[in-house]
Amino acid sequence: MEQFLYYLKVSVKSIRRAPLPYVLTVLIMALGLGVFFANATFYYRLNADPLPHKSDKLFFPMMLLVPWECNDNTCKPPPVLSYANVQKLSNTDIPTAKAAMYSSDAYLRLDTKQPPLPVSVRITQRDFFRMFDVPVLHGSIWPDDSARNEIILTKALAEKLFGQSDVVGKTLLLDDKPLTVSGVLDNWQMLPRLYDANSGNHVEPVEQIYLPLETGYDMNYMSNSQSSTFDDTDYRQLSSQGRTGALHQLQYWVQLDTPAQQQAYRDFMQNLASTEKAAGRHPSIINNQLTSMRNIVAYFGGESGDIKAFALVTLLFLLVCLLNASHLSLNRYLSNQYEFSLRRALGASRWQLQQQMFADVLLLTLCCLAGALLIGFGGVQLMNYLWPVNRLFSTWDWQLLLGLLLLALSASYLVTLYPSLRASFGALNQQLKE
Amino acid sequence: MSLHLMLKSLKRRKVVTGLLLLQLAMTLALLLNAVMLASQTHASLNEPTGLDMENILQVQLKPTTPELRKYPALSDLLERQLAGVRAVPGVVAVAYSNQGPLLQGGNNGNVFKVGAQERTNLASVPMYFVSADFFRVLGLTVQNGELPVSPTPLDGKVQSPVVLTQQLAEHLFAGENPVGQAVNRGPVAAVVSNFYGQRSAEHVFNNSVQVAPMYGVDWGYSLLLRVEAGSADTVRQQLDQVLRNVDTNIEIFYVRSLAEQHHRLYRTEFGLAVLLTILAGLMLLVTMISSYSNAHFHALKSQQDIGIKRALGASRQAIFVELLAEGWLCTLLGTGAGVFVALLLNKLLATVIVIPAIPLWLPLLAISVLILCVTLATWYPARIATRVSPATATKTL
Repeated sequence: MEQFLYYLKVSVKSIRRAPLPYVLTVLIMALGLGVFFANATFYYRLNADPLPHKSDKLFFPMMLLVPWECNDNTCKPPPVLSYANVQKLSNTDIPTAKAAMYSSDAYLRLDTKQPPLPVSVRITQRDFFRMFDVPVLHGSIWPDDSARNEIILTKALAEKLFGQSDVVGKTLLLDDKPLTVSGVLDNWQMLPRLYDANSGNHVEPVEQIYLPLETGYDMNYMSNSQSSTFDDTDYRQLSSQGRTGALHQLQYWVQLDTPAQQQAYRDFMQNLASTEKAAGRHPSIINNQLTSMRNIVAYFGGESGDIKAFALVTLLFLLVCLLNASHLSLNRYLSNQYEFSLRRALGASRWQLQQQMFADVLLLTLCCLAGALLIGFGGVQLMNYLWPVNRLFSTWDWQLLLGLLLLALSASYLVTLYPSLRASFGALNQQLKE
Repeated sequence: MSLHLMLKSLKRRKVVTGLLLLQLAMTLALLLNAVMLASQTHASLNEPTGLDMENILQVQLKPTTPELRKYPALSDLLERQLAGVRAVPGVVAVAYSNQGPLLQGGNNGNVFKVGAQERTNLASVPMYFVSADFFRVLGLTVQNGELPVSPTPLDGKVQSPVVLTQQLAEHLFAGENPVGQAVNRGPVAAVVSNFYGQRSAEHVFNNSVQVAPMYGVDWGYSLLLRVEAGSADTVRQQLDQVLRNVDTNIEIFYVRSLAEQHHRLYRTEFGLAVLLTILAGLMLLVTMISSYSNAHFHALKSQQDIGIKRALGASRQAIFVELLAEGWLCTLLGTGAGVFVALLLNKLLATVIVIPAIPLWLPLLAISVLILCVTLATWYPARIATRVSPATATKTL
């Protein structure tokens, strides 16, 4: 330890002798690492798997089951489903769990004297909570998928409205319709929110309240993100025409735990398409899709091209900074070559010189890490300002910070390796002469 | 000053020179692509929209009670809101619309000429359901036909007349007179000048407008105001209070000028262009530091050579130019390779974002900028090197 402290002392002395090149090296490395880390934060979080243990078991089925004819191979199934098509797709026991859903906006209040509070609503079925591991704090989830005047709240909303989280059994007004609270969810944030990847919505926070699907249709709630009508259905008559017409607005997820289940469901979809075609209700070519949750963002084209493009560019920038830092470091070591050579001449082994290099690397890592964190923080704030839509994905966790530490250590080592080898392995006579 | 000798000098320091060349190549690549993206964003933000961007305000709002979102209460609310806003000093005209212009996507539907669906069908045309003053607010000029003056319900017995933008009319009727003919949405009443509707549409100027009561306001609606020149800020400050005085049961999502709305439409591209420009600036800074360090170190190492040259009669000016010329040679070699790296990076970026190809003149401009930066960075070390006296430099020989 004493020896290591001595090496550190020598390193500090060497820096103080010529501080400018060292400061420039640290500045350049901190810039490269900081800018790279800022973008890597978003890239890492946006591409994270929120349910790693089951994301390959959750699937979004889609069929070209529409009233218009399209026999072109480029015709893709609508990205949202009609109520009638969901009924057909859920008419099987193959999936372990299944849930149709959509999102909407509503106004909530405790009584008519209060001003209405705008809230985001997920209108869904009971299996939603099981499929996406939604934690329940108080009360329970609906026992079945039938219409019921019951609502589930997030803990934050319950506390905001009632000042406490246990509000099961209390009544409130959703768009002036009285509903009873049947459950309260614990703090929960699925990032990215992959159950709603249509129109790039996976970057949004989870909804504040949850309403049964049948109740949502009865209350004429339209989807606030994506809906299409392929016939004369009047969307204002959602509770009646919306259940039978080609009004597409539903997302539908099924849980298929085994490859056998997945194949069985694919066969089921194929049979369904054939049956519908035979009945004249499927005029287009058959194009069934069963997309897994892991691939859903790419399928809907929601991947952030800008983050990807900037990732490529920041990687290049990091490379340039490393090259530059190597360049500066090489110059610095070559300037100190005489000192290295003198130590070699006085009996220092190459291993001892390499230990000196490790002390240099450690010092450089610490300085770069501090600079990179500072620049990275500034970079994240700037990116939040320029791309506020990704704001939820700007937080750091210990894994990210550990990644940065390892990157800074590797970069410092790489930057110091060649110069130190060159300084400690050259011909001694010549080096002392220079 | 011989090219051969300069190349030999660079070769003697091949690792350092190699690192510098790589850096210069990558800097040029980044610089060129940042400029391309920034110029593309600039062009998008300055593209013609057919709209008076500074003197039109858009209020996006929604009634907060179910009753107010249904007719006839909605109709009454709209009338009261239009009258209230119209009375604000500085407001020239006001109209409601189910959606504003300059959006990414929104309420749209298919449009085709009746009897020619196969040939003319457009799958996604923005549909505007508006009050009669909509055309006046947006400053649209009538190209053909007559504008409807009163609203016709969309679900009534008589079809609501349709007003098409010039771009859409040309697509559907190609040289024919559209007025009096029919599209699937109704008879064509008029053709108006183009305006920017939705970015995701087949063409941003494809728009279909009907003077009609809005179908529903579940997604909110827009109040569009034309204001007198210079009074946009004053009017904007009053709008929230004016609308709440009309009825408190509303949620106002935002009040924006169309210029702000247009900027938001290209916010992502703008963000990327800003970030790339900052990065390109940092790259230039890093390159300057690198060039400075390279020149400084080289001048220190070459003190003896410089001293001999000076002793043999080389002028300070000649030494100075020689050191600068080495920097220029390095820059030319590095940026020469950088052009190919830039093309490769451009291709890679084009796989994830829309970015135009690099024009031939741009690398020349970027190389000039880099040469200027390298000259600035090497100026001081080169000047210091020339101050070395021949006696001092050669005393260790």
